[in-house]
Amino acid sequence: MKPKRLTKAAIFLENQDLRARLDDVEEMLRAIGRGEADALVIENGAGPKVYTIEGDEAEANRFRSDMLAMVSDAIVAVDDNERIIYVNAAAERLYGFPASSALGRKLAEIRTSHWPSPEAREAAVAMFRDRGEWHGDHVHILNDGRIIDIESSSTKLRNGYGGLGGRLSVMRDVSARKKHETQVAISETRYRRLFESAHDGILILNPGTRKIVDANPFMTQMLGYSHAELVGRELFEIGLLKDESASQEMFQKLRATRAVRYDNLPLETRAGQHQDVEVVANLYDESGDPVIQCNIRDITERRRAEEHVKLLMAEVNHRAKNLLAVVQAFAHQTAKYGDPANFTEQLSDRIDGLAAGQDLLVRNHWMGVDVADLVEVQLAHFKDLIGTRVLIDGPPALTLNMAAAQGIGMALHELATNAAKYGALSNRVGRVHIAWRVTDAPKPTFSMSWQESGGPVVAPPTRKGFGQIVIGRMAEASVEGRAEMAFRPSGLSWDLSASVENTLVSTGSRVQMRTGNDAR
Amino acid sequence: MKNLATILAEGDAMRASAHYVLHLYIAGSTPNSVRALANVRQICEEWLDGRYDLEVLDIAQNPALAAPARILAAPTLIRLAPLPIRCFIGDMSRRDSMLVSLGLRPLVAWSA
Repeated sequence: MKPKRLTKAAIFLENQDLRARLDDVEEMLRAIGRGEADALVIENGAGPKVYTIEGDEAEANRFRSDMLAMVSDAIVAVDDNERIIYVNAAAERLYGFPASSALGRKLAEIRTSHWPSPEAREAAVAMFRDRGEWHGDHVHILNDGRIIDIESSSTKLRNGYGGLGGRLSVMRDVSARKKHETQVAISETRYRRLFESAHDGILILNPGTRKIVDANPFMTQMLGYSHAELVGRELFEIGLLKDESASQEMFQKLRATRAVRYDNLPLETRAGQHQDVEVVANLYDESGDPVIQCNIRDITERRRAEEHVKLLMAEVNHRAKNLLAVVQAFAHQTAKYGDPANFTEQLSDRIDGLAAGQDLLVRNHWMGVDVADLVEVQLAHFKDLIGTRVLIDGPPALTLNMAAAQGIGMALHELATNAAKYGALSNRVGRVHIAWRVTDAPKPTFSMSWQESGGPVVAPPTRKGFGQIVIGRMAEASVEGRAEMAFRPSGLSWDLSASVENTLVSTGSRVQMRTGNDAR
Repeated sequence: MKNLATILAEGDAMRASAHYVLHLYIAGSTPNSVRALANVRQICEEWLDGRYDLEVLDIAQNPALAAPARILAAPTLIRLAPLPIRCFIGDMSRRDSMLVSLGLRPLVAWSA
């Protein structure tokens, strides 16, 4: 076949191309000669193939490189100018950059470091400068916004990769661990606060040794032992169980049922005081180790309240019977002494007076009645006259006991009813002066008086009515004192005197409960 | 005909405004490839300030990348723009020579 003739121009161009390729080959040979090229591309039928130009340590270097590539921690090397000169596969995954994009870049282009404080950063820099290495935790903020908690170990490259100096860092993403640690810390704070501030005593015990391993502050207060004194002791040694055998018994029960409850255990404090406690013990599993938690509740107050309720029930029963007896007596006496035509009205009126006094007692939790309150209640019908025609005069804060309150209350009611019907309050000008006082000599005495004036002329009654019995014998009996009445023409006067002890409630012992049927 | 001063001034203007497109062919993380990458990136940052696109092609991972540009060895830097296309083989560590060859610095210093 005849060869194709080329034009001059084509020959020129082909010549140019060949010259350029020759230049490239010469440049390549010079680069190889200078040691600046370390891979050759050889074309064959299957396409280009890359051959590395290997030095003496090529095998060792390849082995090291393969090992670094296989490490699961991220490895990044930078030169003295902070340019990345090596990243392994784990670092590519961590930062989301292929090595070809990362190599040669400044490290700061890939991520920035965030330190807990400037001092922490300075300390790390100083340690790296002085010792040539640094280990610690910090945070990396990546360009895509991700924030990664990093556990890092950096070493100075003394004879750096490719003849460069710099730094080699091995990094591990500990974000998940940090998050978990934070959650654990929050949980610890939360439940530690519950433990510390609980108003129940809490003991943590080792089931193997039966000894206390932890106690909350309330427990130390309850028992009077310090935390250090409680830790390492057994329950019977701190007065919670009576002896070692009781302790063993409780642990046996716990092992069998995993929970034990004692509704009422006598607890002896370090100072020898006794408290009633309720103990609930549970056997738990704590990371594979058994642990016992005892919740100890001081039930002294609860038991006191229960006793109080029991006493109150007995008292209510007693008082109901007492009241019924009084009402029954009122009915009998009103029928016996009063006008049968007015029976219903009189009895109803007296029961009203009794009820008013009763209300006051209930309002004061059966702890007695203030004299002034009693006077006010029994003279409620004459409220508008108080201060003008009804003068009340006595020291405040004198509290009558229950019997006195009932007896004096009924007497005041009778006196007021009588004054309204026949005495000083039956006209437009009469006056009543009610006074009470306490005198010390010769012995503490409570006295009370009702003095009428300005009413219709009084004539002594021709027969003794029930009202006189109420303000006389009944009032006297209620305070174990003496009542005197005088029917002077100028007005009725009534004086009651009794020992303070029988009349008033002494401060500090206001509650006097009866437990049996000791009706007076 | 242009005088020397005009030619040099045009060269300065071209250097100050031209957009550079560079392809760097490396062979994985071999020492020369790493050095070449560091050197090229440094030149780009210091002399081209945003006027460049640098693409790094790893022929160790993908040898087929070498064929279209007829790459003979690595590391190789190809200047695709501004024209003419230029080719450099080596670790690009001879800074002054590189700057002149890339057209970033005039061959001779002059004053108008």
